[in-house]
Amino acid sequence: MIPSIEWLDDPEIFSQGTVPAHSDHHYYKTAQEVQQGNSFEQSLNGTWQFHFAPTPQVRLTDFFDSQFDPAHMDEIQVPQHIELAGYAQIKYINTLYPWEGKEYRRPVGTESYSPENSSPFATSEMNCVGQYRKQFDLDKGLQGQRIKVRFDGVQTAMYVWVNGHFVGYSEDSFTTAEFDITQWVHAQHNVIAVEVFKYSTASYLEDQDFFRFFGIFRDVTLLAEPAVHLADLSLVPTVSDDFTQGDLAIQMKLTGESAQLRASTIRVTIADSANNQLLTQTMAAEERTTPEPLHFDEVTLWSNQHPTLYHFQAEIIDATGSVIEVISYQFGFRKIEIKNNVVILNGQRLIISGVNRHEWNCQTGRVISEQDMRADLKTFDELNINAVRTCHYPDQDLWYDLCDQHGTYVMAENNLETHGSWQKMGAVEPSYNVPGSVPEWRGAVMARAQNNYEMLKNHASILFWSLGNESFAGENIAQMNAYYKTMDPNRLTHYEGVFRDPAYRDRISDVESRMYATPAEIAEYLENNPDKPYLNCEYMHSMGNSVGGMKSYDDLIQKYPSYQGGFIWDFVDQALLVKDEITGQQVMRYGGDFDDRHSDYEFSGDGLLFADRQPKPATQEVKYFYGKY
Amino acid sequence: MENTKHQLQVVYGDGSLGVLSDRVKYLFSYERGGLESLTIDGKEWLYRVPKPLFWRATTDNDRGNHFSEKSAMWLGADLFSACDEIAVAIDGQPIELPIAPVNNQYSNHETADSVAITFTYLTPTVPQTKVEINYQVTADGRLQLTANYHGQAGLPQLPAFGIKLVMPTPAVSFEYQGLSGETYPDRMDGANAGNYQTVGMPVTPYLVPQECGMHMQTDSLTVNRRSTLNNADADAQEFSLMINQNGNPFAFSCLPYTAEELENATHHEELPAKRRTVLSILGAVRGVGGIDSWGAEVEPQFQLAADQDYSVSVEIGPQV
Repeated sequence: MIPSIEWLDDPEIFSQGTVPAHSDHHYYKTAQEVQQGNSFEQSLNGTWQFHFAPTPQVRLTDFFDSQFDPAHMDEIQVPQHIELAGYAQIKYINTLYPWEGKEYRRPVGTESYSPENSSPFATSEMNCVGQYRKQFDLDKGLQGQRIKVRFDGVQTAMYVWVNGHFVGYSEDSFTTAEFDITQWVHAQHNVIAVEVFKYSTASYLEDQDFFRFFGIFRDVTLLAEPAVHLADLSLVPTVSDDFTQGDLAIQMKLTGESAQLRASTIRVTIADSANNQLLTQTMAAEERTTPEPLHFDEVTLWSNQHPTLYHFQAEIIDATGSVIEVISYQFGFRKIEIKNNVVILNGQRLIISGVNRHEWNCQTGRVISEQDMRADLKTFDELNINAVRTCHYPDQDLWYDLCDQHGTYVMAENNLETHGSWQKMGAVEPSYNVPGSVPEWRGAVMARAQNNYEMLKNHASILFWSLGNESFAGENIAQMNAYYKTMDPNRLTHYEGVFRDPAYRDRISDVESRMYATPAEIAEYLENNPDKPYLNCEYMHSMGNSVGGMKSYDDLIQKYPSYQGGFIWDFVDQALLVKDEITGQQVMRYGGDFDDRHSDYEFSGDGLLFADRQPKPATQEVKYFYGKY
Repeated sequence: MENTKHQLQVVYGDGSLGVLSDRVKYLFSYERGGLESLTIDGKEWLYRVPKPLFWRATTDNDRGNHFSEKSAMWLGADLFSACDEIAVAIDGQPIELPIAPVNNQYSNHETADSVAITFTYLTPTVPQTKVEINYQVTADGRLQLTANYHGQAGLPQLPAFGIKLVMPTPAVSFEYQGLSGETYPDRMDGANAGNYQTVGMPVTPYLVPQECGMHMQTDSLTVNRRSTLNNADADAQEFSLMINQNGNPFAFSCLPYTAEELENATHHEELPAKRRTVLSILGAVRGVGGIDSWGAEVEPQFQLAADQDYSVSVEIGPQV
């Protein structure tokens, strides 16, 4: 495979050489390693060699070569945003595209696009490039096996080489990209090289309301695979109509040399939340191992109040009887459905006391720690928040595990927002909207749906798949909805943007979702033969001194069963703690404070918490109203 | 009136009216158009004369729905309302304004059971309206402070209405009986009634400095200071001023900045050093809203129409 910089301008090329999306299960060499120390994994986080190129034209052309002398390269930390390392200007902009007023372009395939009128990303004066390079030896536990490299988050488009060989290309900044590097990697003296571009056609799909960072901002990990490996796991727990019994449908996709695979067996063990073993079953390994659903005469349901999780364990046993891989996963029994136009969870009306949550830390941006996540869940408890929308992209994988354990209902949103393509200066103007119904963009958004679904499909906490945010509506989003309904009949789909184009109303979103509707507008919908339950995917805009009038929304809960509540916008201010140039004190800064123009200035400061995670005064109101349910 | 100890001494000055009790002494200035000095046990509580309060620093929601642009006249009124008329009453009887030569009739031993003085302010709005700030000092030296806003059709909605008391040095703490947390008319359901103490004068660190620190439904408030601007006062003992409701609960904020200082800052680090106490005592507060921050109105019942009358009344005195 020969890499081409022209991929940056081709919406139909969004991944090359990547391992197909799969479940986010971890796998271990032994059962002991489930508790600590995974010898199949090796972190590549830490110090990398780095070269910053302000434009594609001046990037190093041979930095990935094994023979390249990196003596003149800088150093950077991974994970880290390149802007926060000081190389590129920090920029915050909300709806308009970041090249607003600086470069003219239109999305490929739309009516107003022509190659002549659009500035290519490949030659853009704004498209800065981060070139990363790291030497590594394989840890002992990884040597002699299949090796993959996994990137949990890289923004916006990246090319990867190992020992001078081109490995692949990936977009979709917020889901995992994996490359199989077995054929190029050695036990020692390896060089991995990553070239990250700030902008590509993917930028059209990632127009979220946030600081426009780029670079490797989540973990990079090497993974070894034993001779037979569970590549994908699907656990579908279902509940009987009387909510007392359950079934667990299991699908396992195995990889490995076929003779070895056929000689192996899989032992599946299920334990309850107290770790009492409920059943164990050994089965022959097949590429697709699909045992009869396991039946449970008695199940304890998972919910916000009682997040009961069961333990799934699979052990792959080779021909000699040795366990070569152990998989551990937690799953929960719960049932979400719509009955009589009401969203019902485990037989009871679902009331969403939710927040939208960007991943944010005022010192490190979207590089957040487990400590940040746990602090957020503690705050959820304190404020009686029971639900989170992962606005507007998939979060770090650990977040979903924690939500499973914590009983937080999740609306799992795709990495998709094309706000600037259909709304300008507040007015709806979708003449060059993507993805719309433009064929050139279908593959990219379908891949995003697939990445989100395949990675997260086993999480008990996820009740809704959200197709994305503020991307208008069209055939492509309708296809995304159809994809989720096909793959997952047990969860609901959500998408607000169809409100802008009711022609797709029957094909997009199980719920009527709006943002910032007034209580009167919501009542009007609910009074007039509503055909879908109503929820606010965003409401109570907590910008500055706000969150007045929450009672009027609470009154709707009392009055209309089809009103399901909503997600406050949003959880934590996105602002950056920096050193004041005058006093040297640590101060909070926002868009425009870095001479970045056009900017939307303080508009990212709309959390229930300040950027340093201290609660805003309005939280006492939220705690009160959310505490009623 | 046999117990002269409990009578007020009245000093009919040439530029001011002195009203003196054992502990509390008042100096009403005709030139400055208001109460120029209020000392308790010799400690000064006023930096400049109290003025009618109309403005609040623009919140993000106010900016979004263009409230401040529509109501900008009230910013001028907050800064520049002028005293137009002064009326004095002794023991309930109006007297001619006791300036020279009218005050030549008085002596060094004038007393009264009560002194009332009303300053009427005209707003620089179009159309104009007026506010009376009335001070009534009773024989025990306590003060009833009342402000009345006269509703006027044709004016934009009010951000707030009340009285602004600026104190010479920063408060070290304040205690109040009222609602927990920062509350507004449309954001106080979650608050609990009780007694609360706040150390310092925290400015809520909203990303852009804006209206903050409001406390609705307050029955009583004590402001504690430790320093004065008096060069001869080396005493570092804490001293206090108590404000009680007079008929109806009041709203207040106790901040180191005026609304205008907050208004001008785009970041907290631009705010000046904390050197005063700005105590706002309010009878009407606009809600903060929350539906969105780019146009949604505050719910109608939490807006302040300008053609309505508003008032606030409190009783002020030493801590009891």
